[in-house]
Amino acid sequence: MFEPVVIISASTMAGLGLLFAGLLGFAHSKLKVEENPEVTEIEDILPGLDCGACGYPGCHQLAKNVASGDAPPDSCVPGGEEVAKKIADVLGMEVSSEPGRIRLAVVHCGADDEEKQWVGQYEGVESCRTAELTTGGNLKCEYGCLGYGDCARACPFDAIEMVDGLPRVDPDACTACGECVETCPRDIIAIEELDLAGDFVKVACNSEDEGSAVRNKCDVGCIACGLCEKMGPDEVFSVEDNLSRMDYSNYDEEADFEMAIDKCPTGCIVEFPSPEEDSETA
Amino acid sequence: MEFFFIFVAIVLTQNFVLHYFLGICPFLGVSDEMEGAFGMGIATTFVMTLTAIITWNINTFILKAFNVEFLEYVSFILVIASLVQLVEMFLKKYLPELYETLGIYLPLITTNCAVLGLALFMVLREYNFLESAIFGFGAGVGFTLALVIMAGIRGELNEEDIPKPFRGTAITLLVAGLLALAFMGFSGLVPT
Repeated sequence: MFEPVVIISASTMAGLGLLFAGLLGFAHSKLKVEENPEVTEIEDILPGLDCGACGYPGCHQLAKNVASGDAPPDSCVPGGEEVAKKIADVLGMEVSSEPGRIRLAVVHCGADDEEKQWVGQYEGVESCRTAELTTGGNLKCEYGCLGYGDCARACPFDAIEMVDGLPRVDPDACTACGECVETCPRDIIAIEELDLAGDFVKVACNSEDEGSAVRNKCDVGCIACGLCEKMGPDEVFSVEDNLSRMDYSNYDEEADFEMAIDKCPTGCIVEFPSPEEDSETA
Repeated sequence: MEFFFIFVAIVLTQNFVLHYFLGICPFLGVSDEMEGAFGMGIATTFVMTLTAIITWNINTFILKAFNVEFLEYVSFILVIASLVQLVEMFLKKYLPELYETLGIYLPLITTNCAVLGLALFMVLREYNFLESAIFGFGAGVGFTLALVIMAGIRGELNEEDIPKPFRGTAITLLVAGLLALAFMGFSGLVPT
C-alpha cells in the first residue's frame, strides 16, 4: 500500500517525536514551577491590554506585583473601579479609591488648521516624529502641534481623534496610559489629574518663547503676560519660563475660571470637554 | 591541531553572526544589556553544543542508516525546539530573573538560524563526532563573543550624544556593520 520509505520516514519521525516528548515530559515534572494561583486569577480579571498604564510592562507583571503586595489592587488604569474591586475580592482587601478625580491626557496646544503658521512645505511621511527628526517640523512655532496624528495612532483606546489638525481627547475613552505622551515628539500632551466636579480648563500652549517671539509665530500662543495669575483662581496659574502653567492639584469645583478665560489676550486658556455625566457614577 | 582550527575558525574568522550573518535577531535584540547578552550567549551555547551532539547522532545512526536523509530539516528542528524548551524550563525554575530579561528571545532560539545553520553545516562538511561537538561549542562561544562585544559597545553608546536621526536601530546596525568589518581582520588566521 505504502512505499517502504514512507513507512520508514513516518516511524522515524514518530519515534523521535515520542522520544523527545518523553524527555520533555520527564523534565517538566522535575522542573515544574509552582506559580501563585492568585497571579493567574488576577491576570484573568485584568483586561489583558498590556498597555503599561500601571507602570509595569504588562498585565502579567502587574498581576505578579499585585499578588505579592508590591502594587495596590487598583493599579489597573483602564480597568477602573470594577477591576479594582474584583482584584480586591481575590486578595480579601478593601479598595481605597479616591473618588471625584480623573486622570486625563491634556493637549497643550491650541493652534488648529486655521491658526497654524507654516514655514515651507513638508512632503515626507505623514508622521510628526519623522517631520520633527528630518526637518525639525515645518511649523513656525517650535513648540506647536504638527498635526500629523502620531498620538491618535499610538492611542490603544482610540481616545484621540484629529480634528482640524489638533488632537481631541475623548475623556470617556482616555485611560491616561501615557502612550500619546511618549509618542509626541514635542511633548505637547501631558497627563493631568482633574477634579470631576470642577471646570475642565487648560492652557492650550506649550511655548517657552518670549512673548514677542510667540506673537510672531502664533496668534493663540501664551505670551506670558501674567493676567491669568492675577485674574484666575488663587494659586492655580503660574507663569514660569515664559509660559503659564496650571497646578491642577490647587483647584477644586468652586474655582471660577471665567475671568481668566475672558481676560487672556490671546485666548489660549480654554475649556475642554469633561467626561459624560453618567460615567462619573459608574 | 585540526580541532583547534575548527574552533578558532568558527569563533573568529567564520563567526556565525559576523561572518555568515546568521542569528541576527537576538544579536540586535538582546545586546542592549551586558547581563542579558551574556545569559543569552550561554543559553545559546548550551543549545548549540547539545544540538551538534544530538543531531550528529541522529544524522549518522538514524537518517543515514535508514536512507531518509531528506528528514534532516524536520528532525533537526525537533531537536532544537526540544532543547530550547528544556532550557526555558531550567531558566524559569533556577534563574527567573534571566528568564524575564531574555523574554521573547528565549523561545526565539528555536528559530535562530545560527542553530539550524550549525546543524546543516555540520552535515555538509561531513564532520565526525568530535569535530561536530567542537564545532557546536565553538559556534556558541563565537555567538556569545559577538553578543558581549556588541553589548559592551552599546553600553558605551548610551553615554554618548548620538545625532538624533541615528539613535536606536540605525546606530545599532552601523555598529554591527563595523564590528563585522573588524572581524574580517581575522581572516587568514586559519588555513582553508
